[in-house]
Amino acid sequence: MNAKVVLTVGCIAAAAALCVGSALVGAQTPTASASPSQIPDLGGIWDGTTRARPVNSERVPWGKENFPELNERALAYQKVFDEALSPKYDCQPSTSPAIQYDPYSMQVSQWPDRVVFRYEKDDQVRTVWLDGRKPTIYDWGIQGFSVGRYEGNALLVETDHFVFDITGFDDYNGIPSSQLKKVRERYWREGQELRATVTVEDQLFLRKPASYTTRWLPQRPGYQLSAWDCDPETSRAPVRMMPQKYK
Amino acid sequence: MTSCRWTALGLAAALIATVPVIAHHSSAPFYDATKKIEAQGPVTKLLLRNPHSFLYFESEVNGKKVEWQVELGPAASLTRTGWTSDTLKPGTIVRVSGQPSRAEGSFGMCCARITRPDGSPITPGGRVTEEQQPPGGGLSR
Repeated sequence: MNAKVVLTVGCIAAAAALCVGSALVGAQTPTASASPSQIPDLGGIWDGTTRARPVNSERVPWGKENFPELNERALAYQKVFDEALSPKYDCQPSTSPAIQYDPYSMQVSQWPDRVVFRYEKDDQVRTVWLDGRKPTIYDWGIQGFSVGRYEGNALLVETDHFVFDITGFDDYNGIPSSQLKKVRERYWREGQELRATVTVEDQLFLRKPASYTTRWLPQRPGYQLSAWDCDPETSRAPVRMMPQKYK
Repeated sequence: MTSCRWTALGLAAALIATVPVIAHHSSAPFYDATKKIEAQGPVTKLLLRNPHSFLYFESEVNGKKVEWQVELGPAASLTRTGWTSDTLKPGTIVRVSGQPSRAEGSFGMCCARITRPDGSPITPGGRVTEEQQPPGGGLSR
């Protein structure tokens, strides 16, 4: 074995040791703040269709009791809002706090250093980091950047780094959300059900935080999420049926 | 008793053929929920897609042939309840009643009830709709 080979093998071994070390650190971190008995079993495929809850609309899940208090800026945006502008008609995915309430299924995978939410609607994947990492300048996006921790048999998630979205509050009320939007989620088990309280704050549009609580039921055994594969042509097709607000 | 049963069956048939538009947008800016229209003609195409599926069929309006665009639910929901792209093949005559579109000169409908011309369901067993919402629903806040 010559010196070059020894050096190469040594480097590979060192790299492998580093990788294993990192994985162990990652594996230790989430349990540092919660004992295994405090980590709820949230994994699986969860049914958020009409079996579990009323379908979303102008008044669901934001009804009389929890509709957000909009500031003047939000009201002004709402007044000039044009449905044709809505990016969903060009397949832009839904964002928090709406995507959690879309009436489809979602898959939750709990790993030592992260929890992954995969939504059937819009083929969206959200990663909730449990390892204490911080967002970088590259982490802005429609789903933002999420960190979380287990506490009191619940998963607590905090998300920021959202990009501005003209319909970033919900699909129905023409309320935008800004780059300062923050969403807090709390997930817990209630018997067979998965429940969550979703709270949104946005100092550029909302006078105070607003929240809703919802639930999912376990999907039937063997269910697999289907691909959404949004079709741009049919996505915009309804807009032809609407009188144009602006010429 | 028999007449009650037939009334119930008739109501069920009407329900199972009704295809709601859900989850993606409000129908109000596009369709007038205070009006109802009905048209009949051959299917030209059925697009089972997300976020909306569409049924297209032709009929005559004021002596002129027009193509109707009927907005249906997303493929993700319709396929769960038995729809396939062969459910309504081109040439199949359908009777469609629903809310008319609002844009001037447009021929669209939503929230439609789709049957064969004699009013019978379009698939054997008629299982072509979204699941009904449970009474009282779930938690909303």
